[in-house]
Amino acid sequence: MSAIDRRPPVRRYEHGSRVPGWDDAVDLTKPPATVPDPATTPVPEELRRAIEAEMAKYPDARSASIPALHLAQRHHGWCSPEAIQQVACVMRLTPAYLTSVASFYDMFALQPKPRHDVYVCTNISCSLLGADEFYDAMCHAAEGHGDIGVRGFECLGACDIGPMASVNGEYVGPLDLDDARLIVEDIEAGRPVLEHKQLRRRAVADAHGRVEGFDGIAPVGQEDAVAGSPVSGPVNPEETP
Amino acid sequence: MPRPEQKIIKLTIDGREVEAVEGSMLVDAAKAADVEIPYFCYEPKLGQPVGACRMCLVEIEGIPKLQTSCSTPVRDGMVVNTQAARVKDAQNSIVEFLLVNHPLDCPVCDKGGECPLQDITFGWGKGRSRVIEPKRHFVKPLALSPLIAIDRERCILCYRCVRFSQEIAEDWQLIFTERGSHTFVGTHDGHPYVAPFSGNIIELCPVGALTSQPYRFRARPWDIEGAGGICTLCPSQCNVEFTVRDDKVLRVLSRENPAVDDGWLCDKGRFAYQSIHVDERITTPLLRDESGELRPVPWDDALRAAGAIAEHRGRAAALVGGQATNEEAFLLGRIVREGLESRDIDSRLSPAVRPGDATVELDLARALAAPALQATVADLEFAHTVLVVGTEPLDDSPILDLRIRKGVRRHGVQLLIATERPSALDPNAAFSVRYAPRRGAAFLADLDGALAGGAASPEAAQLANLLRGGGEEVVILWGEALGAEALPALLSVADRLGLAGRAGAGLLEVPSGANGRGIREAGALPNAGPGYSEVTAGRSAAEIATAAAAGDVTALYLFQVDPVRELPGRGTWERALARAELVVAHAAVLTEGIAAHATVVFPAESHAEKEGTIVHPDGRVQRLRSAIKRPNHVRAGWQVLTDIARAVGVDLHVLTAGMAFRRLVEAVPFYEGLTLEAIGGRGVRWPETDAASALPAARTSPPTPPAPAAPLAAPSNGRLHAGVYRSIWASPEVDVSPSLQFTVAEQLVELSPQDAAALGIEHGAPVQVAQNGTRLSGRAAIRTGVPAGTLFLAAGIARDSANALTDDVVEVAKG
Amino acid sequence: MTQPLLFDRIDEPGLNTLPVYERRGGYGALRKALAMPPEAIIEEIKQSAIRGRGGAGFQMGMKASFLPKGEMAKYLVCNADESEPGTFKDRELMQKSPHTLIEGMIITTYATGIHHAFIYIRGEYQLQADILDAAVAEAEAAGYLGENILGSGHSLRLVVHRGAGAYICGEETGLLDSLEGKRGNPRLKPPFPAIEGLYHGPTLVNNVETLGTVPTIINMGGAEYAKIGAPGSTGTKLISVSGDVQRPGNYEIELGTSSREIIYGLCGGPKPGRTVKMWFPGGSSSPVLLEQDLDLAYDFDTLAKAGSMLGSGAIIVVDDSHSAFEVMQKVVKFYAHESCGKCVPCREGTNWTHKFLARIASGEATPMDLDILASVQTQIIGNCLCVLGDAMAMPVGSIVAKFRDELEAEIEAARERANAMPAVETEHLVAIGAH
Repeated sequence: MSAIDRRPPVRRYEHGSRVPGWDDAVDLTKPPATVPDPATTPVPEELRRAIEAEMAKYPDARSASIPALHLAQRHHGWCSPEAIQQVACVMRLTPAYLTSVASFYDMFALQPKPRHDVYVCTNISCSLLGADEFYDAMCHAAEGHGDIGVRGFECLGACDIGPMASVNGEYVGPLDLDDARLIVEDIEAGRPVLEHKQLRRRAVADAHGRVEGFDGIAPVGQEDAVAGSPVSGPVNPEETP
Repeated sequence: MPRPEQKIIKLTIDGREVEAVEGSMLVDAAKAADVEIPYFCYEPKLGQPVGACRMCLVEIEGIPKLQTSCSTPVRDGMVVNTQAARVKDAQNSIVEFLLVNHPLDCPVCDKGGECPLQDITFGWGKGRSRVIEPKRHFVKPLALSPLIAIDRERCILCYRCVRFSQEIAEDWQLIFTERGSHTFVGTHDGHPYVAPFSGNIIELCPVGALTSQPYRFRARPWDIEGAGGICTLCPSQCNVEFTVRDDKVLRVLSRENPAVDDGWLCDKGRFAYQSIHVDERITTPLLRDESGELRPVPWDDALRAAGAIAEHRGRAAALVGGQATNEEAFLLGRIVREGLESRDIDSRLSPAVRPGDATVELDLARALAAPALQATVADLEFAHTVLVVGTEPLDDSPILDLRIRKGVRRHGVQLLIATERPSALDPNAAFSVRYAPRRGAAFLADLDGALAGGAASPEAAQLANLLRGGGEEVVILWGEALGAEALPALLSVADRLGLAGRAGAGLLEVPSGANGRGIREAGALPNAGPGYSEVTAGRSAAEIATAAAAGDVTALYLFQVDPVRELPGRGTWERALARAELVVAHAAVLTEGIAAHATVVFPAESHAEKEGTIVHPDGRVQRLRSAIKRPNHVRAGWQVLTDIARAVGVDLHVLTAGMAFRRLVEAVPFYEGLTLEAIGGRGVRWPETDAASALPAARTSPPTPPAPAAPLAAPSNGRLHAGVYRSIWASPEVDVSPSLQFTVAEQLVELSPQDAAALGIEHGAPVQVAQNGTRLSGRAAIRTGVPAGTLFLAAGIARDSANALTDDVVEVAKG
Repeated sequence: MTQPLLFDRIDEPGLNTLPVYERRGGYGALRKALAMPPEAIIEEIKQSAIRGRGGAGFQMGMKASFLPKGEMAKYLVCNADESEPGTFKDRELMQKSPHTLIEGMIITTYATGIHHAFIYIRGEYQLQADILDAAVAEAEAAGYLGENILGSGHSLRLVVHRGAGAYICGEETGLLDSLEGKRGNPRLKPPFPAIEGLYHGPTLVNNVETLGTVPTIINMGGAEYAKIGAPGSTGTKLISVSGDVQRPGNYEIELGTSSREIIYGLCGGPKPGRTVKMWFPGGSSSPVLLEQDLDLAYDFDTLAKAGSMLGSGAIIVVDDSHSAFEVMQKVVKFYAHESCGKCVPCREGTNWTHKFLARIASGEATPMDLDILASVQTQIIGNCLCVLGDAMAMPVGSIVAKFRDELEAEIEAARERANAMPAVETEHLVAIGAH
């Protein structure tokens, strides 16, 4: 198949727009969305306290809007209008301000989303190594699993393990097509995902960085170097095979 | 913060040496030198430039990359080239980029013909595009609010509208959502963009993306003319430009005057022009016939019937509404005093001042009008400290709300607020204090005591500290609603802060009527003639009501005011009007009091029709000019008054509006030298003229403020202290403007969360408010910030108005 | 290279905790620095001539000296929003030796009189942010952070701030807006952050690696540090190599090392039988270089002279099994997705280019359209508010220029495919972002 046809599938909307919202008029029966009054906006106590703790970290409390949205998204599952209303109430901002902020960032969901996030990197380095195929496989594997949301994502900063994915924040790679199924199984079983491919356990590629007794995973192409003969001390790059 | 000094520097633009104010933006300096640099996003009124559209790129010697001239301050010796080939290339590129998605639907676009994008594409574009990729297509237009339609295909994301919402109105309702080329203008979760100043975004939009629902497709730019005028729907007296087609006002735009409005309008001023051309408008004289119906009659009949007021010599009284011009107030004053031999005329018509409340002594009025004590609107922006006391700018003089926000945001003004009701400005204030309803006088006395170093409440003491430490330039913005009793303390506070004669400091009153200040200066007061001259004192408005209800006053002349609708003591006024033998009214629409009781109704002119002068609260004399022909049989107010004067035996020597102005200037010493030409389109502040010293000084020093009264005892058993507020939308003009129907004020009973909980009342639930047999229905609005034990009721509205109340305490229950 | 500075035995278990870090001499540089006058530290950094490791390559000492002196609300912000495609070096350092960064930040704040510092870490780096949070807590407990650090009188509050997924927040002013709780739109410059940055205060913004190198500079002395590397490009550099190489990953090299040595020597080059078709020397926003450029020394000035840049030190290697068009599509899709939308040339330019490529892919373009494509890129370059637009236009421009013949053939092939197929749905090829 030619490279040209390997475009990732694009969500299309009936009206021809890719962007939900552009075609929406306001609901004239709603009142204007001003800063929510605490007297009429109930906020779960634990969420309120967590947001207030974030606000206290900054010289200007408004800096806490992104951390607060993270908290609200975790609490409500997504940045629902209600979640945003609650953050707005605690932070004394308008809900519109927070909607504006939330919609700017890829990690906030302004539509309901599945509980588990699988971000598959489809950026250049990973795609050179087959990320687009893996993305298709991942989508296929997750079919019928309503609580797993698969998203193509821009560079996640782990091209060394490409093709890779971030599964609920856990970076795993390099992935082959079979891993898609395993990821789904691990998620559904509540297990750590692809433990043998987690970035957290991985050794650095640079030979200088290696130490004896590192019990993690060796970088691609250097499995022998770690597992076989541990490198000790700095090695001149010239000597590296 | 004091105003920055301006230094002139020289720079070279396109080979020509030009002068400019140091630090001004290059694009402005170029414009002043007749070099036009195109731009979309730049708008100095909106604050710091954003540099988003990149249309204004120019070449500056010594800087390798092209620079945005909207964000580059000029420096001495700068050499700028706006005509270089790479500048042209950049301009061509930006235009081409903008048209990647902008539809070419100019023939059916409401903005066509007055569209910056259209103009700039013609002026600076290449004339052809290489884009053959499909453009975005969306449903259009969509409602953004009942007043504004949005067309997202046309939007070029210039940031102007969202910056207005976020940085000027600070309502933060209008936002960009999404990112990149998906970015679009919207609101949270489909809520409409409803805010008091929302209409300004229509005027700011440089394309046809935001259009006015009432104006859409009513005219093309070549069908219309612009006519300068003043909006007299509130004391802000914003300068406007009426868009006129075939003698009809189709639109109101801002006519920027930094000394008055800064180029903004509220939605009432922008959209209530519709009341000029509605069926409800009275356009012929009306006379009540034997069956009690008001019927249209010829002018002669109406004038004859009104002229019968001559028979009530000594028993006639007049009220002058805030929309009257100086001339009208002046002429009516002469009719009352000279023709009717009465002393009963008043124009202090505050919704918060009730029968039995004190009247303002002449000396106090003079002291408060003293030129040395007058602050200007611009002072609000540059003062060190602004104290807002006894007024809610958003409702009482909306455009000042924006000016105060600007001062706080841009110049670090310390804002202090002392009001009975929570203020929209509270979040911007360094300190806000609440006093009990109608206890403004007590609070100011308390504050005065604190400034004198005496014992005071903790709140007053803190406010006094902030005032004392808040810099020299202090402006006190105060509302007429404070009542006469509060004024000695106010003057004393001003005195203790040394505000008199200090540049950039002083007092600024928000009167209840749009031209409240001018009407008083023209002599429509019970205790002052034109120019605050001494007269034998007559009855105040509240006293007139009582006297008329008792039969002591038998004829009433109501000049553009319906006391039943607008004044407290509604019951007394109803009795007064019912008992009066003759009620002559000037009115534009039939409000309830006029409809029920007027004998004769003269059609009143709208602010787009009047000729005359008015005075801004800061002393700026401004000029109203006819933008349109008076409809149907409407006659000029001054003309009707001269006819009435003749009927009561006074020759006013007025044959034209200009003559009426000259008679006024002759009568008011401190207007001496004013001419209509000098007033022009910008106005003249009389306190700054040489004639200002002709204002009579107070004969005695102001009375000592009374000792602070004891705090109100907390009422119990579902009884609460009631304060009143008058919403920005509470006006007969709004009531009849079709596009503003969604704002028409209803009785919103503002309750504290504590009281609401105690009474089991939920937000939005119906409630009943009762007092002495009077019962009002309303909806509960639970509002954090309303002090427990207090509630606030809407006044000046058509139904269930708080004007009916006569006492400070009400009973509240679920309704 | 003889001595690694940042990656030396970085895999040592527990190095992310304070005891191991201290055992290895950690926070020694801080003690040394606190005994020096602040100006002397700036002087050392200036002498080291270390250039910013985030992408722009501006000298750190110079940047720090732009900061106004004296007591005022000033801020240090560590840019840990590592989002340039191909870049993942800061991740390794923060995950394995977070205290190196923290120590560098404390020294830098002491030198510049700053009492508030932030690490803005991209939201996707959850593991690294957790590790940093724990390290900050350890450092606070040990008195390295907080009031009166080690009795020096210097105080510092350090907050780890997580982003939420936006490439543009790696741009320093976009980052500042985001850190202020806003949309991460870049700001107009001037004013530069050193004069007016976070909360309108003077702000120093530096990359993780740059700040992480500060303890080393203090330990060895600026002059000594400057001896490492190449003229104009002193020191060692963490580089991330990815794509078609056999041993992708992070390496610490001495600046000036030959590029071939990195790609083939350290990373093993492409798979056997494949050759390097093109390579991005400094992240996906650097203009591509070819096989023939492999002998260029890997340093700031040499790469700039060759028409590209060192950028963040991220080398992406593309071998001859991939088409130039495919690479271009990936690059364009990314920048169109990440454009913040604030300025016209970037927003519309990236979006138009993206539609353009979709048109090529659907067989509706002719080879002449490549001229328009190239011209659109030149219309973007230099006209934008920040560098994101240029970051797409430069590599795309370079690919069009260097692979013209291949692209023309690709266009013709696409046309033939389209003609061979029944009418394809060609409506709105605005497939920005595959999510």
